[in-house]
Amino acid sequence: MSKSDLILKIENLRKLFPAERRVFGKVNLFVHAVDGVSYEIKRGESLALVGESGCGKTTTGKILVGLYEPTSGRVLIEGEDVTPYLIQNKKRVIEYLKDMYLNKFKKGEIPSSEVDKNMYELYKKLGENESAFINHFMKDRGKKMIDLRKKVQMIFQDPYESLNPRMTIYDIVAEPLNIHNIGTIKEREDRVADLLADVGLTPPDSFLFRFPHELSGGQRQRVAIARALILNPTFVVADEPTSMLDVSIRTGIMKLMMKLADEYDMSYLYITHDLAVARYMANKIAVMYLGKIVEMGDIEEVLHNPLHPYTKALLTAVPVPDPEHKRGEPDIKGSVAKPINPPPRCRFYDRCPLATKECEKLPHPELKEVAPNHWVACYVVAGDVKAK
Amino acid sequence: MEKRVVLKVEDLKMHYKTKKGYVKAVDGISFELNEGESLGIVGESGCGKTSVSMTILRLLPENAEFKGGHIYFNDGKGPIDLVSLPEDEMRKYRWKGISMIFQAAMNSLNPVYKVGDQIIEAIQNHYPDLSIDEAKKKVAELFELVGLDPKRMEQYPHQYSGGMKQRAIIAMALSCDPKVIIADEPTTALDVIVQDRILKEMKKIQQKLNMSMIYISHDIAVIAEVSDKIAVMYAGKFVEFADSVTIFKRPSHPYTYGLMHAFPSVVGPKTELTTIPGEPPNLLDPPKGCRFAPRCPLATEECWEKEPEYREIEPGHWIACHHPLKVGEVVKFDEQK
Ligand SMILES: Nc1ncnc2c1ncn2[C@@H]1O[C@H](COP(=O)(O)OP(=O)(O)OP(=O)(O)O)[C@@H](O)[C@H]1O
Ligand SMILES: Nc1ncnc2c1ncn2[C@@H]1O[C@H](COP(=O)(O)OP(=O)(O)OP(=O)(O)O)[C@@H](O)[C@H]1O
Ligand code: SF4
Ligand SMILES: [Mg+2]
Ligand SMILES: [Mg+2]
Repeated sequence: MSKSDLILKIENLRKLFPAERRVFGKVNLFVHAVDGVSYEIKRGESLALVGESGCGKTTTGKILVGLYEPTSGRVLIEGEDVTPYLIQNKKRVIEYLKDMYLNKFKKGEIPSSEVDKNMYELYKKLGENESAFINHFMKDRGKKMIDLRKKVQMIFQDPYESLNPRMTIYDIVAEPLNIHNIGTIKEREDRVADLLADVGLTPPDSFLFRFPHELSGGQRQRVAIARALILNPTFVVADEPTSMLDVSIRTGIMKLMMKLADEYDMSYLYITHDLAVARYMANKIAVMYLGKIVEMGDIEEVLHNPLHPYTKALLTAVPVPDPEHKRGEPDIKGSVAKPINPPPRCRFYDRCPLATKECEKLPHPELKEVAPNHWVACYVVAGDVKAK
Repeated sequence: MEKRVVLKVEDLKMHYKTKKGYVKAVDGISFELNEGESLGIVGESGCGKTSVSMTILRLLPENAEFKGGHIYFNDGKGPIDLVSLPEDEMRKYRWKGISMIFQAAMNSLNPVYKVGDQIIEAIQNHYPDLSIDEAKKKVAELFELVGLDPKRMEQYPHQYSGGMKQRAIIAMALSCDPKVIIADEPTTALDVIVQDRILKEMKKIQQKLNMSMIYISHDIAVIAEVSDKIAVMYAGKFVEFADSVTIFKRPSHPYTYGLMHAFPSVVGPKTELTTIPGEPPNLLDPPKGCRFAPRCPLATEECWEKEPEYREIEPGHWIACHHPLKVGEVVKFDEQK
């Protein structure tokens, strides 16, 4: 595969947040928000990320736009390792480069993947000099970080939080153009008006000089979408972008987002709770539970043939638009998922209807390809341990 | 036994004053809500759903102008018109009488206080006799109920995910045992399993306390599951109102019909999504006849000229349309129109 075919690849991404210190004892507790997540998005593809509230979806997205530093793991965008620009602290960047590359190169480990090979080439080109290699990532850091911001945009989950209350709609949407100094004032105005019309805020004139508090929830969400799209990014993390919208406008926005993806060759990481929406917006899906991906694959395959017990429960719980329909009970135990220092076994164990004695002793199951393009992390489903 | 009407809203009007004129967000809304009953309000983004609830609770921004109407609240001691109450009287009814789960809720938690403490404070404001320990215990129970680990009472809002903040807000709204709860998109940020659980628990509490509920959502599937009755709102007005089976099985208003058919399916055939073409009207200057006419495939001259009256076409079934649909009638929304 040529380098540019792979829009995004994340490898073993982790993010731990320190949890509150307990009143008694000094135990260090961590929220395992994202706990070893890997996936890739190819050009022309979009991935829907679904899963329990609090399972780490937004955190994954925020890492990709540089709002949270990854605790560990690697992020590639269009084949290039951008992790050094996602980590703010320079000392940690150096540690990262040593762990990920330099120590391996010095030990003479043969790089196997495309990126590793490229990095090795670079290392040789720089005379196998450690500090020259590190320097390569330190110079022009600011500019490279800005370039990355331009490529990867995020539409935030909460349109109330993400729009500056003191700025007008025009200023909010035009801000990225101002920051990157793109276009004349007139061109900026036209572009903003066009985009507002595209996202259904018509006539644009009547919205341009309003403030966010003068808009309804759904209207703010559309402003957030316009803002994220104004720089024609390559990749957009869309965090519940249509959850506030009613069906008739939502379909319009969904169609618009798909059209833009097509026209601008843009991919989405589409975070949603709505499986029906996921189906329209993406061709792949990853189902997360407590920081882990438990099922992943081609979206039609996963929705029609869900295998992981959590995915099955999710599908049963989807409300049906028919007041006389009696839906089944989702088959899931307990109610509260606990992400603070989870035990090393399968994250779903406590709530799982299939769990066996072996599941309790084994580590969290790896994702396994059980059918073409369909991965599941479950010992029972994969046939590695006998069902109850 | 006749059920008591806990909330009766009559010809409610509230407009926002802006530089360009008045935004007619609530423009003549009437309905009744019985004890123990749940009413779902659906409607396009920006049609005024949140504005209706804010007007009922009298929590309006500065540029809002109350333009008339009545809000009778009756918790068993006879109806009181909330519109006529002075602010300090009104405060007694807010939260304990009528409580609200706000749409902007995720953001309404105070960032510098622990989430648990904020709810304890809310409880103690309305139940000054309750001890701290009793209030704490109550909050822990509410946390379990909405699926939050009670340990999280000790955490701050920024340590919560979006959906967790939303759940804390639901717990807070339930904490003073209100008679009426207005829930504005309460589960929109949650996954379907948590949603399922919260809806069921809310139903249980509702039955136990004989509480009434107004449930605002853009998700007609959720509305179908929670509502006894449904109001369909368009451009500042109710256009249809009936029990939920009627709304779903034989909608009479063309807009209701459109809403019911724009719903994507999870496992069924992946059909082309229906959209209702066009945009909702500008509430600064809404069309003079039927506000839906510019988007309605059935619109005639009459519709453009004359505003349809909101009337009862059969017992309990209200509609504002010159050409109510017959049972089984198919409406074609044409994209090209
Ligand atoms: N403070 C305000 N000043 C001026 N206009 C406002 C103000 N608040 C809301 N509006 C306008 O009033 C209309 C109704 O807004 P409201 O928030 O009630 O809609 P909604 O039905 O709740 O929408 P959503 O589903 O998107 O939350 C919208 O057109 C909005 O732009
Ligand atoms: N800044 C932070 N500090 C501490 N903990 C955090 C922080 N941000 C998120 N968390 C925790 O990380 C976990 C994952 O949160 P995240 O916001 O990624 O969830 P999510 O999947 O987006 O959930 P939702 O669907 O509810 O938005 C949660 O347990 C949350 O409490
Ligand atoms: S591995 Fe075991 S506990 Fe985990 S999901 Fe599968 S059956 Fe359930
Ligand atoms: Mg989130
Ligand atoms: Mg609203």
